[in-house]
Amino acid sequence: MKIGLVTDSPADLPLDLADSYGIEVIPAILIIEGQEYVDGVDITREQFYTRLPAMRHHPTTAAPSPLDFAARYQKLLADGYDHIISIHTAEKLTSLVNFARNAAREFNGQVTVLESGSLTLGTGFQVLAAAEAIEQGMGLEAILERVQSTRQRVRVAAALDTMDYLRRSGRVPAAITAIGGLLSIKPVVELREGAVKPISAARTTRHATAALHEFLVSLGSLERLAILHTNAEARAREFLQLLMQDKNRRNIPSEIRLLNVTSLIGAHIGPNGLGFAAVKKELA
Amino acid sequence: MMRKSLDGLALKELVEAGLAWLRTNQQTVNALNVFPVPDGDTGTNMLLTMTSAYNEVSSLGHHSAGQMAAAVAQGALMGARGNSGVILSQLWRGFARALQGKDVIDAPALAAAFAEARDTAYKGVVRPVEGTILTVSKDIAIEAEKAAQETDDPVEVLRRCVRAADESVERTPEFLPVLKQAGVVDSGGKGLFFILEGMVRFIDGESLESPLISVQPLSAMMLENAMEDVEEGQDWEVVVDFRPGNGFELQTFYSRLDQIGTSIQVGEGEGIYRMHIHTPLEKRYEPIDYIMNIGTITKVAMENLLAQMEDIEGRAETSIELANVEPGQIAVVTVSPGSGISRIFASLGVAAIVSGGQTMNPSTKDILDAFENLPTDKIIILPNNKNIVLAANQAKEVTVKQVHVIPSRNVPQGLAAMLHLNPDGDLEKVAEKMTKAIDHVVTGEITVATRTVEIDGVNVREGQVIGLLNGKLAVSSDSLEHACLEFLEKAKAADYELITLFYGEDLKNLEANRIADLVREKYPAQEIEVQEGGQPHYQFIISIE
Repeated sequence: MKIGLVTDSPADLPLDLADSYGIEVIPAILIIEGQEYVDGVDITREQFYTRLPAMRHHPTTAAPSPLDFAARYQKLLADGYDHIISIHTAEKLTSLVNFARNAAREFNGQVTVLESGSLTLGTGFQVLAAAEAIEQGMGLEAILERVQSTRQRVRVAAALDTMDYLRRSGRVPAAITAIGGLLSIKPVVELREGAVKPISAARTTRHATAALHEFLVSLGSLERLAILHTNAEARAREFLQLLMQDKNRRNIPSEIRLLNVTSLIGAHIGPNGLGFAAVKKELA
Repeated sequence: MMRKSLDGLALKELVEAGLAWLRTNQQTVNALNVFPVPDGDTGTNMLLTMTSAYNEVSSLGHHSAGQMAAAVAQGALMGARGNSGVILSQLWRGFARALQGKDVIDAPALAAAFAEARDTAYKGVVRPVEGTILTVSKDIAIEAEKAAQETDDPVEVLRRCVRAADESVERTPEFLPVLKQAGVVDSGGKGLFFILEGMVRFIDGESLESPLISVQPLSAMMLENAMEDVEEGQDWEVVVDFRPGNGFELQTFYSRLDQIGTSIQVGEGEGIYRMHIHTPLEKRYEPIDYIMNIGTITKVAMENLLAQMEDIEGRAETSIELANVEPGQIAVVTVSPGSGISRIFASLGVAAIVSGGQTMNPSTKDILDAFENLPTDKIIILPNNKNIVLAANQAKEVTVKQVHVIPSRNVPQGLAAMLHLNPDGDLEKVAEKMTKAIDHVVTGEITVATRTVEIDGVNVREGQVIGLLNGKLAVSSDSLEHACLEFLEKAKAADYELITLFYGEDLKNLEANRIADLVREKYPAQEIEVQEGGQPHYQFIISIE
């Protein structure tokens, strides 16, 4: 049985990996100051973050039309795939997964839609787990189990440079935007099941980075890791250096990508944010 | 008056005498301040502690010496303020423990009580420092033991202890170079000496009431602090500047004023005398009328203290929303010196605020009440002042609740700790994280020097603006802005990311922002934040991180 994979652009799967595994990526639509942009096509991540501070309205995302999903599924099936696994960004953050579910109904059980409960490479790593399982020739059940197992072990966290964007987004509980109160604060948060959960708060970049690092170390041995940033590559590189010098570096996988993160979450984080997506190693 | 033993009632009388003599000499003890900054006055703190101790026994009649001592110790414990007050309360605790079950105090019992007092006080301090009240208590205990072997009269033992205390106090600068540098003896030790001396003066029938007449330099009069000890009924503060006429006699002057009011202070400088007094409403013009007869008045200031206090309290209460804590959650109690700082702490999730700081140290009971009024058993306290940490520890000892004391020595440290509060976390772990965080900040305090001195290699003239870096004198300057900029340079602010200026109640928002702009100009790479702190006496509290 030949199994194909579909995901969305906010999953942040690097293009080279998507290409080499033949994964279809459906781009999200960004709505910036009333205008629509196809993520990664009409506007790059760099352009997005450069413009972000000057945007008067909080940018939003929209899903492409359900027809787009159907067309991708159709194409894969026509190319000789027997089944499709379509893995998408947390439904609390975007309607992409609902569009996928609606489209999948027309394909008589040939398309399995999974909601990742995560975003950026938190979703992307689940897609990669599926891709590797497919390559190893696993059956559908076993592949879905791999994805489910990865989903449970995935962690995404971020150190925000400012609380402003989180406040402005209005999508985060007041309990979190209230952190820091009257003082300006750089919160460190975890994104889990589509919800933002505070880990720590700092008043300086240095302490925020340290708190993020501490959280990463607390996860123990990692199977996958990517350093995420919002137009702050220098900060991401520094963080990588920090990890390499760490006495716990044996807990860190050999391949670590640096990634300018999806604008879907970047709009909430704002420029100069640092974060990571990781998959914890399975307990032996 | 020769007694071979002292009963409970005699002990009560001695405590009362010790309290009275300490009150009389309160300002003398207060003046023994090493650092030229307005801070918690040792004399006042010890007096409030002793007052609470005496209040506990004031209504007691015939009790055994052991019971009486236990009540004194209980009162001292609850009323303890400041480090010296806490140590004093621990002395009483040990004293009472040794007398447990004793009907009367004979010479050996008194020696044993002084020994136990010393041991308890030493144990109560994490790192005992010699040249302080602790050393004096040790010398008292040693002398008491020696004396008890030579006489069976407890009064004679006490008499020798007073002499030993006096000598011990004089030796304190040999142990503590800062005392020598500042040219003073240890204030806590001196306070303890006065308490014991008062007891002996009482036995000898000497007066405890009339204050030793002393005229201080005008500039040393710390009138702003007088606000904190307004006696009931003495609601008006009157300050009169005058040139005394011929035949001005200080003794007569004092005894006349003593009939009018309380909190009498007299200062002198360049031929001008300044008189300060608290009086009841109906007597507020009497000092003025009297002084008009003996000299030429140049200036009169009169203020309603109660109205002022209500004003301050009213201001503090507006728009502070404290965190609601559920049973089982962690609640943070913080000590705050100003309304703005209280508001910031509240916005960070503090559940209770105890007012206090440098110049007003809350008592163990104030802190304990805050603990008891919270609906949860898990409590973290931020003392935010080195002189309040001990009282916080003592409140922790008394309560049945689980309490962690984070040893924050100033406001920025307390705020840094608050960022790591997780109300639903494990109390031990959260406290550990918060404790670690207090080292994340460098703290500055900008204030006006209360006297001329050279400390830590910095020359300070009274009235100059000074800056303290992590509690140590770092800079002095003639202007506020220069003191701030010089301080930031000393603190190597350029190596940090964020400078937060909490401006005090004496400073207008505009002025604070003007200075902040100067700082911004000089530190373009740093973020500069300005917050209203509302703290008294300190123009700025600065946090560098």
